[in-house]
Amino acid sequence: IQDRQGPAALLCPSPCQCEEDGIFVMVDCSELGLSAVPTNLSPLTTYLDLSMNNISEIQPRAFHRLHLLSELRISGNQLRYISGHALQGLHNLKVLMLQNNQLERLPDDAPWDLPNLLSLRLDANLLSEVPAGAFRGVRSLRHLWLDDNSLTEIPVTALDSLPSLQAMTLALNQITHIPDYAFTNLSALVVLHLHNNQIQSMGARCFEGLYSLETLDLNYNDLQEFPVAIRTLSKLQELGFHNNNIKAIPERAFVGNPQLQTIHFYENPIQFVGKSAFQFLPKLHTLSLNGATQIQEFPDLKGTTSLEILTLTRAGLSALPVDLCEQLPRLRVLELSYNQIEDLPSFYHCSALQEIGLQHNQIRRIESSTFRQLTSLRALDLSWNMIEWIHLDAFASLHSLIKLDLTENRLISVPVAGLGGLTHLKLRGNTELYEAFSPDYFPRMRVIEMPYAYQCCVYGSCDSYKPVSQWDTEQSTDEDLHKRTVAMYPIHADTHYDPDLEEFQLEIEESKLQTSVQCTPTPGPFRPCDSLLGSW
Amino acid sequence: SGVSSGCQQGGCLTCSDYNGCLSCKPRFFMHLERIGMKQIGVCMTSCPPGFYGTRSPERNTCTKCRSECDSCFNKNFCTRCRAGFYLHLGKCQENCPEGLVRSDTQRECVPRCPV
Repeated sequence: IQDRQGPAALLCPSPCQCEEDGIFVMVDCSELGLSAVPTNLSPLTTYLDLSMNNISEIQPRAFHRLHLLSELRISGNQLRYISGHALQGLHNLKVLMLQNNQLERLPDDAPWDLPNLLSLRLDANLLSEVPAGAFRGVRSLRHLWLDDNSLTEIPVTALDSLPSLQAMTLALNQITHIPDYAFTNLSALVVLHLHNNQIQSMGARCFEGLYSLETLDLNYNDLQEFPVAIRTLSKLQELGFHNNNIKAIPERAFVGNPQLQTIHFYENPIQFVGKSAFQFLPKLHTLSLNGATQIQEFPDLKGTTSLEILTLTRAGLSALPVDLCEQLPRLRVLELSYNQIEDLPSFYHCSALQEIGLQHNQIRRIESSTFRQLTSLRALDLSWNMIEWIHLDAFASLHSLIKLDLTENRLISVPVAGLGGLTHLKLRGNTELYEAFSPDYFPRMRVIEMPYAYQCCVYGSCDSYKPVSQWDTEQSTDEDLHKRTVAMYPIHADTHYDPDLEEFQLEIEESKLQTSVQCTPTPGPFRPCDSLLGSW
Repeated sequence: SGVSSGCQQGGCLTCSDYNGCLSCKPRFFMHLERIGMKQIGVCMTSCPPGFYGTRSPERNTCTKCRSECDSCFNKNFCTRCRAGFYLHLGKCQENCPEGLVRSDTQRECVPRCPV
């Protein structure tokens, strides 16, 4: 908003800045150190910004001529109370911003009369309660911010006056309980944020009436039980109750919420999960359960056909259902580490799988059918199992595989068919695996970990360690070193190029990096490539 | 709104002349404004148009709304649409549901005017 000469300039109260909007005026008086609302505001004002001043009181009838005002910003001042009379005349006001003040209470008997108000910001104030009649004059309200106040209860009666409300936040207050029928008149509410309160309990019917609710945020509370009250929320799409104190997810937990797409419930001491808890959620795409030690059986995911990411770690699983992939045809990421899984089904029907994590289980064998046709699989982690045998064709169809981790197993051989695309291969800890795999098997390899150092010699790792006789000349002068360097790289000799030695060495190092494979453990003086005893 | 550049801002807790606000006073939103190649920290009582605010005990942040929204309550709920889109129950769509028509002035889906 610029300070403009012209009609607007005549109507612009000093020291504010104004801008014409056709015949109307937009007035910016923010951050001017004002202690009162300017008096000579034009009736043609549609936007007025008084934020970040020192206004501690609004004089009666301050806005009574501003019938056309659409947006009023008084955030960031020192207001403690605003009477109903102070906002008289604002018939067309749509947006009222009062956040970041010190409001301690709202008018009750003579509430604000703002019939067209759509958005009301009361966040970051000192409200400890909302009187029953506070919202009687703002019946068209759609968006209400009451977060970051000192409310200890849901303002049930006050909310009854808001049949058009669509989005509300009561986050960052001190609410401890949600009573039955708390929101019964809010049939148009789509979003409800209650995060960062101290909610311990809820009435089983506390969400009755919320027929349109799509987003419910209960994160960072003190819920002891699973919120069964969600059962009435048939339109719910996004549910969060992470960082609570919930220990169990009951059977058929989400039977009333077929539209659910995301459920966030990490950071809960969940021990038990009902086998049917996550059934019939056709739009759910992510399910993550970590540390639910009482889960002994894989959950029945019948009807949850859109799941793409399934994480079920640190539980007590010992087997996987044979029809797992028939239930989850769109699975992209399957993370089942830290269980007690022994046998693997065929993942054949999980054709979209890109990542599988099965580390820290008790798997012994890999059959030819286990990973067959997983042509999109990029990363497979089978480390820390007891794998003794892998079928020759087990990896044959894994054309996209780039990372394979078989650390700490009991392998004596590894089938290489299908592994030509690997860039990372880990075999450390397979103490009976002696084969030195030719680099030809892995043309794109970059990082490889072998059980023994000598197995790295095929990767030229011995170049970095030459027998002492050739490089030990302590006394060699720079010139000597220069001659020997030029002799080794004749291309520089004829161009009388007199390279700076340090720059030259950098060039050598860089060229080495592009082609070399980082193979560990690196051979060294005590683990030479030339075997002293003929064999290790 | 409720912002000016550099270190003189009312909402700044710590700042540098080069990067503006480095941290905000309690209850203010921190927003990184891009000016050419530079990013200037700004402390505000509400996030700029096209962004929504999220309050938490540790800090208050501004996050971009969906592209079709001019302003929003959170990432899934718009409060005003961009030109060419029409608001209905927090969604900005190019078409309106059955029984509602597009209002270009309000950029909303509104009931059909009675004949």
